[in-house]
Amino acid sequence: MPPDAALRATLDWLRKQPSVRYAEVRFVDARGERLRVRDGRPEQVTAEASRGVGIRVLGPKAWGFACSPDIGEGALQAAAARAVAIARASGAVARTPIAFPEQPAARGRYETPLAIDPLTVPLEDKLATLDAPVRALRAGDARLASAEAWMDWTRQEKRLLSTEGTDVTQSFTFGACGMHVFARGDDGASQRRSYPTWQGGDGFQGGWERIGALDLNAHADRVKDEALALLVAPPCPSGPQTLLLESSQVALQVHESCGHPTELDRVLGSEISLAGGSFLQPHLLGKLRYGSPIVTLVADATSPGGHGTFGWDDEGVPAGTRPLIDHGLFVDYLSSRETAAGLGRASTGTMRADGWNRPPIIRMINVSLDPGAAGTLEDLVADTDDGVLVATDKSWSIDDLRLNFQFSCEVAWEIKRGKRTRLLRNPFYTGITPRFWGSCDAICGAEDWRLWGVSTCGKGDPMQSMHVGHGAAPARFRDVTMGSAS
Amino acid sequence: MSDLLSLCRDVLSEAGEAEAEIYLSFAERGCARFASGELGQHMQLSEPQAVVRVAHGRRLAETVTSRLDREALVAAVHDTARAARLVPEVEGFPGFAGAGEAVEEAPPRYAEATATATPEERVERLAPALDAIRSAGLVSAGMLETSRSSHAVATTRGCARSHDATIAGFRVWALETPGAGGAAGYGGHLHRDVRELRVDEEAERAVRICKASAQPVSLDEGTYDVVMEPEAVTELLEWLAVIAFGAPEVEQGTSPVAGRLGQRITGDGVDLVEDPCDPSDLGFGAPFDREGTRKGRVSLIEKGVARAVLYDRTYAARLGAKSTGSALLPPGGIGPTSLAMGGGTASSVDELIAGVERGLYICRLHYVNGFLEPRRAVMTGLTRDGCFLVEKGKIACAVGNMRFTDSFLEGLARCDGMTRARKAVATWWSDVGAFVAPAVRIRALRFNGRSQEGWR
Repeated sequence: MPPDAALRATLDWLRKQPSVRYAEVRFVDARGERLRVRDGRPEQVTAEASRGVGIRVLGPKAWGFACSPDIGEGALQAAAARAVAIARASGAVARTPIAFPEQPAARGRYETPLAIDPLTVPLEDKLATLDAPVRALRAGDARLASAEAWMDWTRQEKRLLSTEGTDVTQSFTFGACGMHVFARGDDGASQRRSYPTWQGGDGFQGGWERIGALDLNAHADRVKDEALALLVAPPCPSGPQTLLLESSQVALQVHESCGHPTELDRVLGSEISLAGGSFLQPHLLGKLRYGSPIVTLVADATSPGGHGTFGWDDEGVPAGTRPLIDHGLFVDYLSSRETAAGLGRASTGTMRADGWNRPPIIRMINVSLDPGAAGTLEDLVADTDDGVLVATDKSWSIDDLRLNFQFSCEVAWEIKRGKRTRLLRNPFYTGITPRFWGSCDAICGAEDWRLWGVSTCGKGDPMQSMHVGHGAAPARFRDVTMGSAS
Repeated sequence: MSDLLSLCRDVLSEAGEAEAEIYLSFAERGCARFASGELGQHMQLSEPQAVVRVAHGRRLAETVTSRLDREALVAAVHDTARAARLVPEVEGFPGFAGAGEAVEEAPPRYAEATATATPEERVERLAPALDAIRSAGLVSAGMLETSRSSHAVATTRGCARSHDATIAGFRVWALETPGAGGAAGYGGHLHRDVRELRVDEEAERAVRICKASAQPVSLDEGTYDVVMEPEAVTELLEWLAVIAFGAPEVEQGTSPVAGRLGQRITGDGVDLVEDPCDPSDLGFGAPFDREGTRKGRVSLIEKGVARAVLYDRTYAARLGAKSTGSALLPPGGIGPTSLAMGGGTASSVDELIAGVERGLYICRLHYVNGFLEPRRAVMTGLTRDGCFLVEKGKIACAVGNMRFTDSFLEGLARCDGMTRARKAVATWWSDVGAFVAPAVRIRALRFNGRSQEGWR
């Protein structure tokens, strides 16, 4: 339970400090579990808990942040005093006072809708749910060298109070679940296949009911058959190709080449010390053709079940929806109150911290590609005369302005005259962001659109890891440079 | 913070479980993060962590919590014990560490000046560097951090260890634009004592590289001889650490070392050791891991030959080896925290450059990924913060950032020069330590992309 009296007393103390223009007090209590079963043994059975309060203060010129794992009133007031002192020290070298527009006070409660609370499901049942598919993945062929299945749950309770009168309580339930198998050839080569996608990209907000829908057992035979087939598959050919991406790979492409470069703190240079800047500079807003006219990318913190769904961000801005790329045109940013004010805009409500002991920074919410009109993935394959379909990310890399990217995937299928013909191993594709999205000529429809969740989006310094979501349908891109890592 | 070991013992005693282990750590970090020439994020971060493990025979469960009060920890032991009764056995789990051999004299890792540094002191150290970069007509970004941490581990079998450390780190960029790209230069330094940090010198280096990076030319894709600074080399070593040396990766066959111990896997000039207890100023590792196993020097690659794999207690017991003290903190795994690559004979980076007819001098790499084909250690990434064309042994001009895709180990087999001097570089993706490397010269590294060319 949040220590209401201590939080309010701390806020009252901050209100009385003449140097404080704004302050927020954020209580976070997170608990969960990480379970991994590998080759028939429990590799990890971990319960997690983290609790504390973060305090962010805006002094006359600059910010200060401090935190406390002790949630008693005395400890919180001491942390508040440290935040005030830090703001004062930083202000001594600040040239320009930070502009921070007012925000109407937010009040209310958000809670993840769920049918079955995962934290009430017995541990034995969870481990059994992971053990059965792992055994199935290893069965039948000695070349199936290692298999693993995993399940993560996090319940995060968050209470935000601010000097503006904001008082919101949120309860999130995040989950992730998946499996993979490694096949090893006689020559020592190794191939991995995963389901439902790469580990770390399989998150959601919801309850135990999502695990049943995944049905790991039903996919084990296909997954291991593909891993074995990849051992003897030819390498993906190099050169320009028509490229089809399945939906989880489109999601990662959106994450790296649209989500991150539209973060306004990165655009303005605040993330240089880890991640770099962005090619999407303000003078291009409303002018740059980012993609083809069928490409619309929307930031939406209200998507049901989304990993990036919430009621309010950590500055008290309510969840909203707005396009970032509208029919190919670059039209908006992921922003905070401070960064948006610099452009004369309103915050898009994306400030989040990954725990009580980190300050909020701009994070992706659910950044999703609108579905198109190309039907299902099989319709798209049938509509392609000559190309390559790739699935399930294996490696990811993009430059410090988010222009030159290269992704490798677990598997590729050659497509000839509208049919998948043979498997190809170790595919990678590379390109330049606006040129790539400009070459998108088909996006599948709502029937194959799926909301994926990334659990491990890293940003900030020190690093913060965040839950973000991406909805995507399979899509086709023309004249993309491909190769093989073999 | 120095009472963590007493707390471990008290909790174990009060909880009364027969087989239990507690690792406690507490870090206080002061992080002055600046960007666009302003101190935008200045933070005091508390990082408490307890890792409680309880075993019933070979049944094992774990709790990770931020609560370090005695009552919460005793409750965590009891909760973990209940979970341990419900889980299947862990093949090979040998029980928790005993008293074992005593830790020899701990390496020097603590400086009071760093432990007690105030926000005002951090600002005072930074201000001249920010001014210098501004005076050069450039934009500054980076971070100055002072941190102190305590670590302790105890088990019901008598293991008891503790360790205190401080780290002062400075990373600085001098930039042509705040976030829109253009010329950039980088400087960085790591030391346990904040008074020894080379703040002004590294800021000057960043300015120098940034100024030299103006008006870059565009080069064709292809193979180039390269000279890489230690910051670039350690980025590649970080990925080698992820894919190569942990027993799980070796067991599942994805590691380039799997099945190749005793065989040559790279050039005969390459020596790579895990050296957490390095007593020099390049050492930042702790003397024991979270299981209480004493860490020692492990030769992983010796003259290009794969020599060893890293283990925790369970993998070691199951695979007939001895733990190397390489159990990582949550989210877990097994791997190095303090990789150090041996140096060569070159007296300077300029000497390495002098041996390049036409190639590239690379100051840093960005967003390297080593999951393309781990068995061959194929990696991709981009240059950043200084990339220059070398012609006839001299730097000719700046080059726009380029993407490489090549096997790091096969590249090192083509390495024909390294500096004697080495540098410790903090691992950006975790807080476990720093990797050490010389500058290296590699022949014919494969580049398959140019960063920003022609996008508009």
